[in-house]
This record gives sequence, structure tokens and C-alpha cells, in this order.
Amino acid sequence: MVASSSENWQVPNVDAPYRPSHDERARQGFVGVLRAYASRDMQSELEAHYQTKVAPAAQEQQGEAPQSAREIEKLLDPDPFYRFYGALRYNSQEMRYLSVIDPVERVADEMIAIGKEVSRHQPAGGTLKLDPDLALPRYVTTLDVHLAPGSFYSEYIEDDLSQGAMLAYGGEIGLGGSVIRTLNLGAVGSSIGHWLTKKYPQFKPRRVLDIGTQSGRNLFGYMDAYPGIEAHGVDISAPTLRYGHARAEYLGKTVHFSQQNAEFLDYPDGYFDLIVSSFFFHELPIAATKRILKQCHRLLSPGGMMAHMELPSHSDCTPWENFAWDWDAKYNNEPYYVQFRSQDFFELMEDAEFDRQQAFATTVPNLDTTDPADYPRYVSGELPPLPHGRGGWFIFGAQRTA
Amino acid sequence: MTDSTVKFPRHTRGKRPQFFESPEIDQMMTFIVELTTEVSVLSERLNTVEHLLDTRGTISREDIENFTPDAAIETTRMASRKAIIERVFRMHGER
Repeated sequence: MVASSSENWQVPNVDAPYRPSHDERARQGFVGVLRAYASRDMQSELEAHYQTKVAPAAQEQQGEAPQSAREIEKLLDPDPFYRFYGALRYNSQEMRYLSVIDPVERVADEMIAIGKEVSRHQPAGGTLKLDPDLALPRYVTTLDVHLAPGSFYSEYIEDDLSQGAMLAYGGEIGLGGSVIRTLNLGAVGSSIGHWLTKKYPQFKPRRVLDIGTQSGRNLFGYMDAYPGIEAHGVDISAPTLRYGHARAEYLGKTVHFSQQNAEFLDYPDGYFDLIVSSFFFHELPIAATKRILKQCHRLLSPGGMMAHMELPSHSDCTPWENFAWDWDAKYNNEPYYVQFRSQDFFELMEDAEFDRQQAFATTVPNLDTTDPADYPRYVSGELPPLPHGRGGWFIFGAQRTA
Repeated sequence: MTDSTVKFPRHTRGKRPQFFESPEIDQMMTFIVELTTEVSVLSERLNTVEHLLDTRGTISREDIENFTPDAAIETTRMASRKAIIERVFRMHGER
């Protein structure tokens, strides 16, 4: 499928040069199955072992079952099964990116050339604003998040977008292992966007900002939910924005990408009616989260809404769930994750001048997996919210008082 | 940025955790996981060759590279990948 502009020029597809070999595809497929095996099958087995043997034994000995993730880890640490579980999960996560690096590296120059060409034409009317002088904060550069070599921001040559492509293709190696490419663009954005249209039918945002947008795919769901909405995406990383810009223009999606640190955004007060993010805040120190939430308050128009998809807080989860989520903090290079989950999100929002009465924290149904017949019953509250990561997405947010 | 072509790092910044008493065991686990992956890749290549022989009676390197599994073949392959994992990473003892 090739979109065309008003001239005879055809928009080149930035993804077209990416052609992994037969064996590279077979490797990626194996890594996907290995990831699912370690993080789902082995984790279920570990949980059954913990619930039936380890927890009752601890209860017998100490008088109560473990209450925290830390206690659970301490109990499981000597268990060989737990160690192999960790080693397999960690190795499979490393291989997720290692298995796409070679085929991306081979065609990176070609992809970069396409990115430059698309950026000159901007056939979908989107824009790309980069800031070469932008300094990356230390909390971004200390570790390669998610074990991706080069993390999410590295650039190797002029106009580079290859890190953005590498992360997108590595991200497609989900927990499954099919090598048949299905670009699931913006499952989170679609789910939250759809939820907002049903929950707040009077709310008609004209301009949306996605914070930490990377290649912007989270925005597409909101653009579908609110046709004609002006879409903006901000990220600190230039290569993901360049890649996202090239892809959005090819797909005919008008997105305005801007490279900025979300703590110090340059948009005018009240510029947005809707501000969103997904899987973002848990990667930041709390001080940065607080500054960004204040920015959200400043940037929202009266009656405007923010909705951030995140991990649920410790207080909303069982000790086992906390243990299972927090594993990533230690072993997936996400050092701020535990601190973030220990927060009271309502307090954070109040601290950013949002009215507690207008704030919410809930779990919205995953649009891809929810029976449409049940959907209204989730909106009305007749059905209890689906758990985060298992049919639902946790969100917190607030409406700015008019 | 003086490089003329993209060269990705192959290592992750940050201390690699140690899951076992000895770092050699951690390193050995990586060897085993990678080796298991190679076996799976090789068996899929063989499977592709078999499919081509079944359907066309001939094979060429180009046909192998261009072979795109349909949904049914892909489902079978996913099951084979899982079966390899379950055999290779067979844990001792009953839990």
C-alpha cells in the first residue's frame, strides 16, 4: 500500500528496506516464544509453587504470609527454578533486540535516506521539530532501558533514525513468537481513546499531546477516536521521532513531532484539550514526574483532560502481583519503577494543582480483547474493572476544572 | 557524529545481574540459550527446504530466503519452538 501526494511522487515506506533473512526471522520467532515461555509459563509455575508451598510455609513459621515483593523475593531467591526463570527471562529480553540489530544495521543508510526524503515533502502535513542542543538528563543516560543496546535515544550518524526502527521491530517481538508481522498500532491509545468517548461523551478535544511519544504510535488510537484532532507528540529522543515522522507521513497520519524534555515544554498555557502518555512515568524519578504533571496542568485548557496509562500502584495489587511487576525494575533496567509504584497517584495529581474531585484512577478495557457486548457494562461500572495487563490497562488522570 | 554508517552497540549499558552463585553459570546459560536458538533456527530452515521440495520439487537459496510461512505453517512452527524449549529446559524434580 503506497499513499500518494498531489504530485506524482510516491511516498516511500521507511519500513520497506527492513528484510530480515530466513534465519533471522526464525531467530526472532524463537525469541518471542522463549519470552512467552519464561514470563508467562514459568511465571505461572513459580506462582503456583509460591502460593501452595512457599507462602504457607512462611505463614507457619512467621505467623503471617509475606506482605511485600521484597519478602517474596527473599524467600524465592535460593530456589533454582526461580534463578533459571530469571536467567531465561533476562536472556530472552536481551535477544529481543539483538535479533533485530543485524537486519536493521544492514539497511540503516537506506532507511535514513527515506526518512530525509519524506521529511522534505511531508505529504501528510505533519511536522518534525528537533533540538540538537537538547541535553539528556542523567536519569535517561545512566542505563539502557529495557536492555536495548543504545537505549531509546542513541544516534550514530547524521539524521539517524535507526534506533527508532530497531526499537519498533524489537517491540514487535512480543510474547508469542509469530514472525508474521502484524503492526498493532496503538492498542493502548485505541483503548483509552475509545473509553474517553464513552465515559465522557460531552468531551470533544481538538488538540492532543502524547508525552514520551517515541515513534508516535500511541497517538493513532486517539486520532481514530477523535477524527480531525490535531495530534502532537513530544519525546526527548530524536531518532525515534525521525522514524515516527517518516512512518506517520507514509501512513497518511498528520502528527506534529517535537523533541523536548517533558519537564520543560515550550507550548503555551492551555494549548491542549487532551494530554496522554503510555508506559512513561515509571521510567522517571518522582521529581521529574511531579514537574511533568505540573506541565500537564499548565498546558490543559479549562475542562481539558489528562489520561496516563501506567502500572498500577503497590497498594492496588497483591504482594505476588507486586513481586511479579517489580521484577522488571531490577532486571529490565527500570530503576525508578518501584518508587513510582509506591506513590499515591491522587496525591501526585493534587500536588500538580489538579482538583482531587476531578481526578481518577481506574482500569479501562483493552479494546482488542474485550467483547463489544460487555463494553457498556464496564463503562457503567456494572462489571468490575479488568486487571492491568490481563484484559485491562490502568490509567490515572484528571479533568482540569473549567 | 563522524561515522558514515550505522554501527549499533551489542551490549547493554548497566550492570548485568547475576542469577546464580557463580558468574560462569550465568555466562553458560547465555551459551545454552543461544545454542538452543541456533538449533531451532536450523530446524526451521530444514522445514522450509522440506516444504519447498513437497510443493515444487526443487530448492534454491533464493526460494529459501523468500519463503514466507502461511498462518498454518507459522502456527506449527510456534508449537515446534515451544516444544524445543520444553525439552531443552526440562527442570529436575516435581514441584
